[in-house]
Amino acid sequence: MAVEQKLALESGVDIRTAGDERKPYPPGDLAIWIFILAELLVFGVFFAAYAFTRMSHVELFNQYQLTLDRDAALINTLALLTSSYFAIRGVVAAREGNNALCARWIWAAVAMGGVFLVVKTVEYAHHIGEGINLSTNEFYMFYLSLTFFHFMHVILGMVILAAVALKAGRGGYSADDHTGVETGASYWHMVDLVWLILFPLIYVMR
Amino acid sequence: MTTAGAARQLIRPCTLVYLVLVLLTGVTWAVGTAGLGGLPVSLLVLAFALLKGQMIGDWFMGLRGVRGIWRWVVAIWLLIPGGLVSLAFVLSDRG
Repeated sequence: MAVEQKLALESGVDIRTAGDERKPYPPGDLAIWIFILAELLVFGVFFAAYAFTRMSHVELFNQYQLTLDRDAALINTLALLTSSYFAIRGVVAAREGNNALCARWIWAAVAMGGVFLVVKTVEYAHHIGEGINLSTNEFYMFYLSLTFFHFMHVILGMVILAAVALKAGRGGYSADDHTGVETGASYWHMVDLVWLILFPLIYVMR
Repeated sequence: MTTAGAARQLIRPCTLVYLVLVLLTGVTWAVGTAGLGGLPVSLLVLAFALLKGQMIGDWFMGLRGVRGIWRWVVAIWLLIPGGLVSLAFVLSDRG
């Protein structure tokens, strides 16, 4: 038996993970990850329901998908990706104990979330102006409900990030204690993750 | 310092990941704008989306530095809805 393995056993460390510097839990509060898993489960069911409903209405889905604004969806995808990037830069700043920089990055992430809300609101206004609603047809029922459900998550994520930015601005985090920043950023990345599937599924795949 | 070492310092890994995500998003948008469709194109676009999701999980959510089941939660989530969506598109393509 190798010396390291013997020492690991004697010290009660699992030899399979001895020397493994990876952590047992993801960054941030574990409770937010339970919440994230629940949210992902709901969105996953929505995605599967969309795809299986489409099986019976392929022509209808393909026809009305063309009425959506892909350019707006591109802007929104880039806004969320950039926002997620800003959030991770905020996390890095917090880990380095730089509260002022962390606050700036997180506020920038919130601003990009605002871009998403504005673009999506313009899209909704256009659809409403054309008399489209949940009852118009199966495609619009899924499009409106899925994207609006996600829209609400963007708002919640922005509120969480704003709270993190305010606390960082007050010097509330340190290199040793920045779980709040990681927690807020993890939720925000989930919002981005869901949109990355939603965008091709609703706007592109046909 | 070597040129490669200097480049690594100039471009953070998360910045590189972000740029790749933007590139893949541009490809997805271009496919949609060109009006390309059909099963192979749809599955390719979905594969790009799943890859992007895994990159978000690994590099932005930090799961790359986690061991055990938490390491794979995003991958598992991507595979289940991704698999079901693929199945639905394959079945609808077969008529």
